Amino acid sequence: MLDVTMIVNGERRTASVPPETTLLKLLRDNFQLTGAKLGCDVGDCGACTVIVDGQPVNACLMLAGQADGCQVLTIEGLATKDQLHPLQKTIEESGALQCGFCGPGVILSAKALLDQNPDPAPQDIREALAGNLCRCTGYAKFIKAVQDAAAMLRGKAPAKPGQLEASEQRHGR
Amino acid sequence: MKTFDYVKAKDAGHAVALLAKHGRAARILAGGTDLLVELKSAAHTPEVVIDISRVASLKGISVTDEGLRLGALVTHSEIIGSALIRDVFPGLVEAARSIGAVQTRNLATLGGNLMTCVPSMDSGPMLLALDARVTVASPGGRRQIPLQELFVGPRKTALGPDELLVEIVIPKPHVGKPAAFQKFGLRKGQALALVNAAASFWIDWDKNSFRQARIALGAVAPTVIRAVKAEAYLEGRPITLEAMAEAGRLAAMEAKPISDFRASAGYRRDLIAVLVKRALECAQTRAMKKAPVHA
Amino acid sequence: MDDKPTLIEQERRALTEKLRSAEENLRLPAVSPRENLPVESHVLQPGQQFRVVGERVTRPDSRMHGLGLTRYIDDLSFPGMLYAKIKRAGIASARIKRIDTSAAEAMPGVMAVLTGREIPVNSFGPSYQDQPVLADEIVRHAGDGVAAVAAVTEQIAEEAAQKIVVEYEPLPAVFDPLEAMREDSPKVHSPNSNIYASKVIRRGDVEQGFAQSDHIFEARFSTQMVEHVPLEPHAAIADWDANGRLSLWVTIGRITLARADLARTLKLPMNRIRMIATIVGGNFGGKNEITQEPALALLSKKAGRPVKGVFTRGDEFISTTTRHPFVMEYKTGVAKDGRILARKVRLILDGGAYCSWSETTLGKACILSCGPYRIDNILAEAFVVYTNKTMTGSMRGFGAPQVCFAYESHMDDIAKALGIDPLAIRLRNAFEEGSLSPTGQVLQSVVVKESLLMAADRFGWETRS
Repeated sequence: MLDVTMIVNGERRTASVPPETTLLKLLRDNFQLTGAKLGCDVGDCGACTVIVDGQPVNACLMLAGQADGCQVLTIEGLATKDQLHPLQKTIEESGALQCGFCGPGVILSAKALLDQNPDPAPQDIREALAGNLCRCTGYAKFIKAVQDAAAMLRGKAPAKPGQLEASEQRHGR
Repeated sequence: MKTFDYVKAKDAGHAVALLAKHGRAARILAGGTDLLVELKSAAHTPEVVIDISRVASLKGISVTDEGLRLGALVTHSEIIGSALIRDVFPGLVEAARSIGAVQTRNLATLGGNLMTCVPSMDSGPMLLALDARVTVASPGGRRQIPLQELFVGPRKTALGPDELLVEIVIPKPHVGKPAAFQKFGLRKGQALALVNAAASFWIDWDKNSFRQARIALGAVAPTVIRAVKAEAYLEGRPITLEAMAEAGRLAAMEAKPISDFRASAGYRRDLIAVLVKRALECAQTRAMKKAPVHA
Repeated sequence: MDDKPTLIEQERRALTEKLRSAEENLRLPAVSPRENLPVESHVLQPGQQFRVVGERVTRPDSRMHGLGLTRYIDDLSFPGMLYAKIKRAGIASARIKRIDTSAAEAMPGVMAVLTGREIPVNSFGPSYQDQPVLADEIVRHAGDGVAAVAAVTEQIAEEAAQKIVVEYEPLPAVFDPLEAMREDSPKVHSPNSNIYASKVIRRGDVEQGFAQSDHIFEARFSTQMVEHVPLEPHAAIADWDANGRLSLWVTIGRITLARADLARTLKLPMNRIRMIATIVGGNFGGKNEITQEPALALLSKKAGRPVKGVFTRGDEFISTTTRHPFVMEYKTGVAKDGRILARKVRLILDGGAYCSWSETTLGKACILSCGPYRIDNILAEAFVVYTNKTMTGSMRGFGAPQVCFAYESHMDDIAKALGIDPLAIRLRNAFEEGSLSPTGQVLQSVVVKESLLMAADRFGWETRS
């Protein structure tokens, strides 16, 4: 058995697990954080995306031991006790989620993008979300929602519906 | 996954000692993006997994007396984010950006990509076209070999069971060499290359001709290969689009692509010709941006 | 304590209040505001309309999705829960000679093992009950389950499944539906013909229609097998209570049908079965019938503990239903001006190893096969054929996408050959108010031409280069 310790959503968590345990299994089974999902188990779909030491990764492709001593942020750690993260607000308002299964992964990938790039162009968002598959939607509303959240974080009002094209003009792509 | 023993290597020496102890019963864990996929479908798992992901000496990007050094644990995201590499080798950034998606690139390492050694690897062609060398550590010490010698066959490298890839070096004479990478997959992201190609050359500014052209191809032979006939054709030849197109055609004939469910061999040959030409054109554009500099 | 706050305290409170109100719009309501419920009930007046269309509403489940708190089946866990794995045949056509589960049963942590012969009624399906829960005699496609295991961890269950020994006698297999239609082809459900359902729609006299046509066009189209790939794999949890009542938490969409199938396969009265479906992570038609549920129920009964089964992505591709590949032959007779006088269609559906939703797909495809066009003389024949491949079932469109690809491509080919604008030829032939469908339905609220014209205007069809 392997002892691992990490900071998950700001809390120190420990577990004693078989070494072959993936970070995904650790989060879901040991820490009861089921927001990260099992979609393919081979790092192709992104439903298991979590943020480790500031970077989005596929939790199904990390061993628990690799995450030992790391800071892990899951979807459950994004909202505070009584406040949504702007991404959660804009994704809800834009109707971007249908079945919701890809949601946690998409939101975390988007958050990681906005941490690096506070004013992303649509193409930047597409690249940031390229590792998060969605079978229900056509991704278009995700892109708008991420831009709206970026605007909120910059302290501006989000663009009105239909203004995605204007933003593309602003960024030149 | 079946179970295994897991041990974190403290430093490169410790990793090598563990490899010496366990030999083929051990596997190295760097980023894990290839290893874990393999272990999940394997009939047998290794006895020991050696986690080298925290070994500091295997990280880092720097310019040394030898040239440009990339630690084996450098991730594709770190390559993309490196101002140094973006400036000196945008072709390496192109290759890194073509791999997987953000999540993969944050974990997957350059060394891991080379050591998994599939013919369609995205990092191999560009490094090969820059005459890269790799440093290997073993209980007996370190040795350096040309990258080409690392690749033996699909998923087969020249390294012994007690050897560890520690760094990749682009020799000083090639630092700053104009180079470009092209990949064609069935998608823009998360795609295996049907064909990938890299090209580099210096310009002889007096004659406006190719000098030391290198063309490397991936996914069209058992390993990443150099298209040496195409390179020889270009040497000393005036730089024209026709010459680039001819080089592409020659490269296509040197490759041994297979037909599989993704594409036919003929289609792959067509792609080689196009991608090589585009890589050469792009390298020329990059060359034109810089003042003539010779090593 | 002072009653009257100091100046500093006032400033501090004012600042806190300012910060708090600035983030009001991010606030989650802890508890809904109190509402006064009306004493009188609302009585709808004739002609009264509610404003719903045009209102902007958010999906009620979006909040929980965004917080990552939605619980899908795999997020549920019960005390003592076991994990099930299904062993899949890996061979397309075979007779099972012998199954030896002893090595699996002997493994520590394995709590129950199940084979097909233990299933009370080992057949199910939405129209024909031709699919076994677990194959017990004949394997008809590589994804057929042949045994199931429940163990204390997934890892042990996987290992135990691998330890089950199955001896197969390979049988001839057929993979091409056209080949499977031949009398001398291997029979997937011997001794029956591989053609397991057909439909014919006739109107007027196609031969006369062709005789009157100025031009006749023939073409053949084909489409491929498609897998739904819902992000959430199939999952279910089975549990029995002390009174012998079965509860199943499932990703299935049609739970009343599923409940009937459970009652049938387990020989259990329906009132002893509770199917609980919750938010599903994508269905698209692929989760419309049972898969592993009876097996999980029996494993749970044997073990006396809840049993969860989650399909791997590999299982999703080889063992869940897919979209029917179609081979479509079209023969169309037209007048000089492009008006369709007669159309003959022959559809061959690759029906996979088991029927699933093939009959519905067949019917729908056949009815829609001539397209939204006024045609007096029609002969549409459709057949669905067994092959030793993954089951083909329902997937959004249910046969419509395949025929649409064919008849629209065909229309473009005809337009090109006659030198007629592709839009004009469609306007010339399209359904109108009161047109008859191929099956004689009188169509109402028909806006095909209006839609085409509006779209053409918006796309700038006239000014295209």
